[in-house]
Amino acid sequence: MKTIELEGLDISAYKETLSNGLEIYMLPYENKNNYFITYATRFGSDVLEFEKKEVKTKLPLGIAHFLEHKMFEQEDGIDPFTFFSNSGTDSNASTSFDNTQYICYGTKQFSDNLRYLIHFVSNPYFTEENVEKEKGIIGEEIKMYQDIPDYKLEMELRKAIYHYSSRRIDIAGTMEEVNRITKEDLHTCYRNYYVPNNMFLLMAGKFEKEEALKIIKKELEYRHKEELPNIVEKEEPKNVFKATKTLKENVEVPKIGIGVKISTKGIKMKPLELDLYLNMITTILFGSSSEFRERVRQKKILSSIYMEWETITNIKTFYIMATSIKPKELIEEIQKELQNIHISKNTFERIKKVWIANEVKMIDNMDSTINNLYDDILRYNEIIPNKIERIRNMKIEKCNKLIEQIDWNNKSIIRMEKK
Amino acid sequence: MKYIKKDLGSFNLHLIKTKKFKTTTIRVVFHTPIIKEDITKRNVLTDILLQSTKKYDSRRSLTIESEELYSADISTSNHRLGNYIFTSFTLQSLNDKYTEIGNLDKAFEFLGEIIFHPDFTEKGFFREEKLDIVKTNTNVALNSIKEDATGYSLIRASEAYEKDSPVSYRMIGYQEDLDNITVESLKDCYQKMIDNDYVDIFVVGDFDSQEMVLTIKKYFKFKKIKKKKKPYLLEAKKCRKRRLFAKETIDNSQSKLAIMCPISKLSEYERNYPLTLANLIIGGGTDSKLFQEVREKNSLCYTIYSMVNKLDSVFIIMAGIDRANFNKTVDLITKNLLNMKKGKFLEKDIQTAKEFFHTAAEEVEENEYRMISECLMEEVLGLPPLKERIAKMNGVTKSEIVKVFKKINMDTIFLLEGVKNEDN
Repeated sequence: MKTIELEGLDISAYKETLSNGLEIYMLPYENKNNYFITYATRFGSDVLEFEKKEVKTKLPLGIAHFLEHKMFEQEDGIDPFTFFSNSGTDSNASTSFDNTQYICYGTKQFSDNLRYLIHFVSNPYFTEENVEKEKGIIGEEIKMYQDIPDYKLEMELRKAIYHYSSRRIDIAGTMEEVNRITKEDLHTCYRNYYVPNNMFLLMAGKFEKEEALKIIKKELEYRHKEELPNIVEKEEPKNVFKATKTLKENVEVPKIGIGVKISTKGIKMKPLELDLYLNMITTILFGSSSEFRERVRQKKILSSIYMEWETITNIKTFYIMATSIKPKELIEEIQKELQNIHISKNTFERIKKVWIANEVKMIDNMDSTINNLYDDILRYNEIIPNKIERIRNMKIEKCNKLIEQIDWNNKSIIRMEKK
Repeated sequence: MKYIKKDLGSFNLHLIKTKKFKTTTIRVVFHTPIIKEDITKRNVLTDILLQSTKKYDSRRSLTIESEELYSADISTSNHRLGNYIFTSFTLQSLNDKYTEIGNLDKAFEFLGEIIFHPDFTEKGFFREEKLDIVKTNTNVALNSIKEDATGYSLIRASEAYEKDSPVSYRMIGYQEDLDNITVESLKDCYQKMIDNDYVDIFVVGDFDSQEMVLTIKKYFKFKKIKKKKKPYLLEAKKCRKRRLFAKETIDNSQSKLAIMCPISKLSEYERNYPLTLANLIIGGGTDSKLFQEVREKNSLCYTIYSMVNKLDSVFIIMAGIDRANFNKTVDLITKNLLNMKKGKFLEKDIQTAKEFFHTAAEEVEENEYRMISECLMEEVLGLPPLKERIAKMNGVTKSEIVKVFKKINMDTIFLLEGVKNEDN
């Protein structure tokens, strides 16, 4: 078992990789009385088609999410929710673009719950009847999200930015596609992607790491490494698909969405370093202490704002989504900011200080910590032991050089207005 | 964990000592009997206090200062508990061990600056330009109220349930009240809060108690000593003889169902023990009766759950459904509630509910904000410490839970009907 000391945080993580490729990450806390376990596969809605042994398979949209729902069916009739509930333990699952995870968290019966989490995710039970039954539930879930204007704005923005990427499609798919999913489709996905060398276990909190490892080995060591299929996808072009679009929706106050699409080909930075610098640039430009925010506040043209970065192969996309009574003016202000990016040394150092402080604060909060480690495992294939040092070592010169390399005008703008 | 409560005359200080965190968290909580017309004012007030202070002339300079204090986050909130409105100011700062000596003291001083030194003009009022900014944003929030369809359906259901009672008050505020707010009326609202509200200060972290008392006294000075008069609990509404069906349409695909049930004549024991378990059994989580029956067995929804508002004596069931399934869903919910009244649930269901309560209780001390909320609820409801409550909860019997279920009756059934044409 490899020890990963998280520098500056008074805690260590541990990693073990089984011979079949399954990765296990553990973060035991000495002073907590609760725990959190997630069992994940690197399979999400991004896979629309795959190829294995020269055979191509096209998948119905929304199948990864459908599969997540159906994993809760068990041949012995025991509902996993009920199993966990017996010890007052909560359980859940979620599907994203590039992963699906099954979680349980509580304070009791760690060993039994870990064993059962592995057990139920390892034993699919699909019947025609239980597959049909799920369609009504998923239909309501799709409708629920479609009624949220911010969600719709983000989806429409993705459709404007990307030409071919699977990110154009809702994680839950469409009702039409969901209706044609069969139990055979589910088995196909399960067989190919729920294999040890495509999965990992991550746990944090109160537990004995040796005991946990013993259980995992017993439950999963017998499974074999499998050949992973290749994802069939068209290369996403550098330019955006559509520069502008206006939607008429059920909103009283207009919303805007701007997405800057950046090709990472030619940028010589490692993934984590690139993410830190990109995040730094947009935090300084649009973050809560930015000059931009004060300016648009004074002008009364910004009511709420949300920002995020997204990564797909060779592309990084920066999203800004906002609510404004004067959308045209707000768009102009954002564009102005992107056209003349200037970063002061003082601000750069202050944001570094904030990020370092936030790393220290976060470790006390197990939920945030586990989400953060989960993202690091997905993005960088590891837990980063020295994030604080990496933040501390960031240089403004590097930041400025990166700003120069990027075409900040390669963007899509969406406006959402009242019907 | 060690809890110390100190009556400092003009306010209560609650010190929760724990070595679990690298931070110290402070929450200053004001509360006063709720008046409908003042809700919007309170929202505007907490917002404007975060726009600028005497020392920091803009939101940006305030934010920069909190960043310089190693990311000392500040937030505010307004919420209602029974007859009272609670206004909170929260700050969390890293302990000096992880920053520099004196940082925590400066962070407390900073929170004191926000609460006690507003950015008044020479005439002693808030600034018109700041009020304009806050009013514009509040206006947007009021206009966007339907974007959160679930929240909106609960508001409308509460209004149909008991108009004019605090149960139906919109905590987001009201347009007409917003329009009437002036820099003068806002100053009045501020002064009343500082002078007349009951104040509780909670501090969670690893500190020396005596030193902490001195620090708090230095930065948080309240003058008046106040005596409480109005009870926290609202009187339970009398249930209608015939259920009220209310409806409103919305241009959405999904419909939101909200069912309001008054709980009559609850004893203090029932309110704090059997009722908690009853809620967990029928609609508390994925293992609950409603989730299993309505979602898993009948595929009628994706979300369904129940919740209890102890101080209002209201039990609420919420679900997201297709409008075509309205009658079927209501019938199923009715049937399930009836089954509970007849005692058609198992000892195992009670045991599971007790386990969930126990887990939640054990998790309280893992989160500083939950510790503060718990401490506040103990004050408001006059509850014994958590350990005692766990023991008492374990002793709750099936007949006690059935007795509580018998007091829960459907009064108002509200449907926010999604009428979007799916073909479009």
